[in-house]
Amino acid sequence: MTRRLIVEPRGLASARLRILVPVLSVLAALVVGGLFLAITGENPLDVYGKMLDAAFGSANGVSNTLISATPLILTGVAAALAFKMLVWNIGGEGQFIMGAVFASGIAIWLGPGAPSWVAIPAVIVAGGVGGAVWASVAAVPRVYLGTNEIITTLMLNFIALSFMNFLIFGSSSPWRDPAVSTFPSGRPIPDTAKLPEFFKRLDIGIFIAIALAVAAWWLIGKTRWGFAVRVVGDSAATARYAGIRVSKKILVVFLLSGAAAGFAGALYVAGPVGALDPRSLDLGLGFTGIIVAALAGLHLLAVIPIAILMGALNNAGPALQSIGVPAATVTMLQGAILIFAVAGEFFIRHRIRLPRREPVSVEMPDGVEPA
Amino acid sequence: MTTDAPTSGQSDLAVELRNIDKAFYGVKANDDVSFRLARGEVHALLGENGAGKSTLCSILAGLYRPDAGEMFLHGVPTAFKSPKDALASGVGMIYQHFRLVANLTVAENIALGHPDTGIRLDQKKLQTEAAELGDRYGLPIDPAARIWQLSVGEQQRVEILKLLYRNADVLILDEPTAVLTPQESKQLFTTMRQMADEGRSVIFVSHKLQEVKEVSDNVTVLRHGRNVGGVATADAQTEDLARMMVGRELVLPTRTDTTEAGSVVLAVSGLRVQGDRGLEAVSGVSFEVRAGEIVGIAGVSGNGQRELALGLNGLKTPTAGRVFIGNFDVTEASVLSHMYAGMSYVPQNRLGVGLAPGLTTEENLALKAFRKPPYSRGSRLLPSAFRSEGARQIEEYDIRGVRPGLPIRLLSGGNLQKALIAREVEMEPKVLVLHSPTRGLDVGATQAVRNQALAERARGVGVLLISEDLDELLALSDRLLVLYEGQVVGQMNAEDATAERLGLLMAGEREDGRR
Repeated sequence: MTRRLIVEPRGLASARLRILVPVLSVLAALVVGGLFLAITGENPLDVYGKMLDAAFGSANGVSNTLISATPLILTGVAAALAFKMLVWNIGGEGQFIMGAVFASGIAIWLGPGAPSWVAIPAVIVAGGVGGAVWASVAAVPRVYLGTNEIITTLMLNFIALSFMNFLIFGSSSPWRDPAVSTFPSGRPIPDTAKLPEFFKRLDIGIFIAIALAVAAWWLIGKTRWGFAVRVVGDSAATARYAGIRVSKKILVVFLLSGAAAGFAGALYVAGPVGALDPRSLDLGLGFTGIIVAALAGLHLLAVIPIAILMGALNNAGPALQSIGVPAATVTMLQGAILIFAVAGEFFIRHRIRLPRREPVSVEMPDGVEPA
Repeated sequence: MTTDAPTSGQSDLAVELRNIDKAFYGVKANDDVSFRLARGEVHALLGENGAGKSTLCSILAGLYRPDAGEMFLHGVPTAFKSPKDALASGVGMIYQHFRLVANLTVAENIALGHPDTGIRLDQKKLQTEAAELGDRYGLPIDPAARIWQLSVGEQQRVEILKLLYRNADVLILDEPTAVLTPQESKQLFTTMRQMADEGRSVIFVSHKLQEVKEVSDNVTVLRHGRNVGGVATADAQTEDLARMMVGRELVLPTRTDTTEAGSVVLAVSGLRVQGDRGLEAVSGVSFEVRAGEIVGIAGVSGNGQRELALGLNGLKTPTAGRVFIGNFDVTEASVLSHMYAGMSYVPQNRLGVGLAPGLTTEENLALKAFRKPPYSRGSRLLPSAFRSEGARQIEEYDIRGVRPGLPIRLLSGGNLQKALIAREVEMEPKVLVLHSPTRGLDVGATQAVRNQALAERARGVGVLLISEDLDELLALSDRLLVLYEGQVVGQMNAEDATAERLGLLMAGEREDGRR
């Protein structure tokens, strides 16, 4: 018998391993991506250098990276919050869009007369409410009727997208810009409702996103309510047994998850986009949030650096096009990173070893012929 | 010795294991274990939980591969790749958790995975064959019944028939009597003897000395993963086997005094509770538990015990009847109200109901008390209280193996149960419901749990002990009730109770002669 690898469950992964595996996942993805680049005749190192330069090499690069990261932090928080509770809310995309619809709506309704200290908080809160309302469409039937939230949240994404398109392309709604008649576009929100920029085009949305991620972490990890939520997330039967009202906890977390995605929509509208513009909002930021949450191991603070990494990758795309490399390279790299991270989970959970001794000796005892 | 069992080879040994090593996570479950099984014998494998019995059997049955060591089947060196492979060679195992498909019939389950089973099933032929096989081995069974309709004892028969249908000549039964009434166990022993008389070999895994004495020809004792000796059963005294098994004298605490019970702390009248399938599982049960007494509830599992416990705790709202804790009517109250009225509950399912597997030991100890100081102030948690209270309880209740920050599921079964009971006792209850509190625990942990139950009784708590372990019920209870098909079919003081009397009641024999 040849020596064979033994795969066995690992009791617990060390903290070092938990950090090492995602880092190696990213590196492995870069190697695989590099192979593809080499096949297409590019020098991978050149391309990666260019990407790094585009993402972090200049003040503009850093600013753009953080602008891209801002919504991803919150859509990442949205996914991580829900997934921790085993609620498979993959409707971050739709909740993001509805957040943007509500946020731009309130900004337009308030008009330029409202001072910033009223308009900006109103826009952000409206975004959260929009996301939560959209999540509730899936959350209430899930909690009280047991419908499958994977299907409902997924379908609600398309409805939200169609609704936004209808507001801009299919109707003369208040969201549509009446001044532009050639190609329908979103009505710019008043300047008073826009987030102040402080570093190139970077606005204070990044701080709001980080603050909200920290708040979510504090809520789950440091409060009495959060403790009950963690019990539900670990074992609903145990929670029920301990007198915790499981349905209510799941409902509230589902709504908070939707609100987080809605906040992302609000910050994006009140920040870099400045209007309910379907072309700028239909970027799959809600879906990317799921990748961010997965890479962060559903840790609500780890979401922040992962979102920045993803933001950097998003940003590198246009830079690549300028040197003749397809921007889809970035999508490929993101996909590869996710696949390696998911595969890496296996190594966090299992140990693989090559035993020195053969597992089963098949030496023949005296006088016995092999079977 | 008869030899009409389907065997080949020349050796008189059915199985020989030599120097088997097997480790999990670096812990040796089997350490240099050798084991010989003759043809036509019932061989008991005796040992405490965690002694390595199941691991050794699983290696023999092809589920695990040994890290080192040799295996011979009828004198031929063998290495199984899978349980299927082992079964093809005539080695089959009945696990503690049955491998049956609940929605299929008995006959279908027996045929499932059999090499001769084609794409189309001849139901008639299958059912006739299954019924014949059952009759031959004293395992009566309705071949057309679906598995979910069967009792646990009947399901076990199906498992045995599955192996016999495949003509297995080495049958491994892993703690088969744990789920049976004394009468059903007797029936099983007859079947085991019959199989041995046909020349098949039976490995009987158990930690119950009486049963080992009753049914086996030879005994091999495992302790801490090592083979500590084998004897012919006839030559062995029960006390010697016990000493070999635990490595010291075996003393389990029993109730010694007969103190007067106090006021009624739990009063149940006409209680009806539905089961998960919407059928009534508890059908009009009435009883009282007084302060300072232990009331035992005997019964084969599945006769309404679980639903009774859920109904008493507000986890299932009764459809009729009343439940009083002290003076509070809690019949329709929330789980939390039950808790605050003084109800503590140690459920049968420790990890997954009683404890949250992924949370730490400290967090699990605070699972009920976290809503109040010292664990929280206002809406904020106080991590320092989790640490200090946790450390105190871990020390006081002798919970071993706790590593800070790591999930509780890494603890052993005995320590899980100690933690669970610690938390429930710390709530200072009026009523303590214990459901199978020592099931699956080793002797040391059983001792600790029994002492804890007796200590609560001495403190004036009314204890309701729901158990299938008759020895335990007889050792601890002041009074006993027998639950059968959701009804109390017998009530007696501990002095009047015997295992035989309880066993008959548990099997549905009415003492007034009716059935």
